[in-house]
This record gives sequence, structure tokens and C-alpha cells, in this order.
Amino acid sequence: MTDRNDVLPFDAPEGHDAALAAQVVAMYAATPPADSGAADRCARAVLAQSMHAPEVGTSGLLRPRWWWGAAAAVLVVAGSATLWRSPALPRDAATSVTSSSPQSAVVQPTGAVTAIDGGDGVRFDLTLPAAAREVALVGDFNGWDEKATKMARRSKAQTWSAEVPLTPGRHVYAFVIDGTRWLVDPLAPQVPDAGFGPSNAVVVEGGVQ
Amino acid sequence: MNLTGAVLLLALAPLIGGPVREPTADFAQAGLRDAARVSVDSTVWRQVQFDAARFDSVTASALREILSSAAERGLPTAPLINRALEGAARKASGTRILTVVREYSAALEQARTMLGTESTVQELEAGASALRAGIDPMIVASVRTTRPTGSAYVPLMVLTDLVIRGVPTSTARDAVTSIARMPKSDDALLGLQSTVAKNAVRGPGMAVDALRRYLRTTVPAIGPPPAPAALDRKPIRPPPS
Repeated sequence: MTDRNDVLPFDAPEGHDAALAAQVVAMYAATPPADSGAADRCARAVLAQSMHAPEVGTSGLLRPRWWWGAAAAVLVVAGSATLWRSPALPRDAATSVTSSSPQSAVVQPTGAVTAIDGGDGVRFDLTLPAAAREVALVGDFNGWDEKATKMARRSKAQTWSAEVPLTPGRHVYAFVIDGTRWLVDPLAPQVPDAGFGPSNAVVVEGGVQ
Repeated sequence: MNLTGAVLLLALAPLIGGPVREPTADFAQAGLRDAARVSVDSTVWRQVQFDAARFDSVTASALREILSSAAERGLPTAPLINRALEGAARKASGTRILTVVREYSAALEQARTMLGTESTVQELEAGASALRAGIDPMIVASVRTTRPTGSAYVPLMVLTDLVIRGVPTSTARDAVTSIARMPKSDDALLGLQSTVAKNAVRGPGMAVDALRRYLRTTVPAIGPPPAPAALDRKPIRPPPS
């Protein structure tokens, strides 16, 4: 038997277990030499297994692919987004000036603000292109409370009116259609979107000039 | 109660009730005593009450802090309450309401810087709207110079509307300031707004054309464009050397 330290492929550290090292060396020596063709046979077998996977009876298009999962994920996200939309969202979608374009054939609502003769009030008129059940006038003069100033429909036309006592100065307002949709008069002075949606402004005469 | 007691009670009633403070009625409901220091334009009555019941408790509490902070800085709180109420009416989330009110408070403060501390609440609101529309603060300040205190909100409102409708800011500023310098010109300014609004539906170019036509008929000093200077002046020859 050769010296044990000679068969170790590294320098034996101080205090190593010489008996254990001898056992390991003996086991290594008893192992039969590997067949030179074993590695090739193993590689060929693995390659053949992967290249000749059993068919499941589907065409190439229907074979499970990675993009099936991606498509399913997209569908799930889109469906969730559609269902997740709050019914309150349309309240933010008020008609704004920027939405109008020369090419748009959509009939716009028309409004008018006129001073009431002999009084401090102002009359708001709004003509809608489509039918509505109820129209409310909201603004800084009624605390933006859509229950405070309901507009009255004139005869059978889609023209709604309301008279509001206003002090001289600038007032901001908007219309609420059927309690859900906020609307602004596209021709009245616009107030930029402060974060909730556009609104209109009206000036009541009587202030300083 | 005898007669002497009744007379004494009547005499002391004003003292028991405390001094009458007009603006505090808006804020007493919310317990915003600091808001009494805000100078509110007494000529303008506004139904502005901070109705805490329209907000969740966290949002209402945060709004009180914002309003108190604005009052301490001397800003009007009525426009801020209005924005908060508008957000509640539009079913905006509490977070969004707080963000908008904070931004509007900053815009009001910037508008006060540009328009002057003597500006009315309405002027500050119109100025804040102009700033939020992207109009340069110096242009807002230039509109201020066209009108005395208390009457600049109409020019600012019309300027904001013109810019929103696509009129270039410099063109809108020149038009508004030239009309605003005329006496009693609020109607003329509102007429400009109406004219531009009707034509803006056909595109920004049509809006600008309408604006120029309106100016030619409204402002006397504005006539047809002058001929180029090179045509009505003889060329200068260099002196013979």
C-alpha cells in the first residue's frame, strides 16, 4: 500500500483523520474504471427521448405553447379591468371643449345664462340632444348639491331651465344629467379641470369695472 | 324672572353672545375658528359651508387641517371648501379630493403673489384657474395691471377660456389686455369669449381669425396691420467718401 499522503490530490491539513482518508482512497481504488462509451450512450439516449416525445394527437397550432399563458393573462386582466370600473366613473366624464372637433357630428348640448329682469337672479337654460329624466344644476352657489337645484323641463322639448338668485361676481357651475353624467355648456366660459372634471363659469353683472 | 332681571339680561345679551363675526358662520360648523382671520369679500355672498358629513372621517379631518393651514397663511378658504364639495359631489375618492384641494391651495397662493395681496377672492380664484390652465404667471400679473382691484376676474376668466380653446397665449393676452383697458369693458370681454367659443368649434385657426375680427371692431386703436417699414421709407445712402 502506498503512502496515504501520496494518493491525496491535495496537501493533508494538520490533524486530518488518516484512517478515514485511507478508507476513501480504498473505495476510490475499488471502483471499476468507467466505460469510455457510457457517456456517449447516455447522451444519445437523452437526446432521443427529447426529440421523439410522444405526440398527443394535436396539431402544431393547438400544441401547448408558452403564449397560451400570456394570452390568458391578458384576457384576465382586461376582464378584471372592465368589471372593476366603478359606476361613479361617468360622473367625471363631463363634456369639455377639447372634445369637440370640426369632424365630430355629435350634437352638442347648448346652454344659455340670462339675467332675470328686475331681480338679482340668473336663469340657466340647457337644451340636450337626447332625452333625460332629470337635470340638476350644481355649483358653488348651492354647495355642489345636486338635490338643491333641480331644473324644470319646458313643455316636451329637451330644454331644461332653472332660476337661481346669485350675487354679482363669478360663479362656477355644471349640470348633472340623470344623477350620473356631468355636463358643461361647450360655449360658456370654461373653467380648467381642477382634478375632477371641467366646469363652466358665469359672471353676474354688478361688480366693479 | 322679574323686570329688573329681564332688563339686565337684555343689556348683557351682546356680551354673552360674543361679537358678531360675519365670515365665521361658514366655518363654525366645522369648528374652524382660525378661519375667522380670513379676509372675505363681504360684497359677495356664497353658500359655502364645510359639511363634514359629505366626507369620510379621515378626509374630513385632513380637510380641516388644510383649511386651517390656508387660513393661517391668509388664503380664502371658501374656494377650497368649494373644490372639496365639488369632489364629493362627483364621487371622487378622499385621496383625490385632498390632492386637488392641496393643489388648489398652492395655486391660490401663487395667484395672490402675482395679483397682489389686495386682490379679492374672486380675482384669486380666476387667477388660480388661469395658472392651472397653464398660463404663465407673468401674463396673469400683466392682466392685473389693466384693471383696478376687484375687477380683474373677468379679464382673467376670458383669458383662461381663450387659452383652453386653443388660442395662443400671447395672442389671447394681447387681445384681453387691450380690451380690458377700455372703460366698462366687461361686456366686450364676454363678447370676445362668446365669439371665439362659437368659432373654435371649427378649429383653433378659426378662433384666432374670429378674435382678430372682433378686435378690429371693438378696439378703436386696432386697425389694419401697418405696411412694412421698409416700403414707406427711402433707402439711406452712405455719404460719399
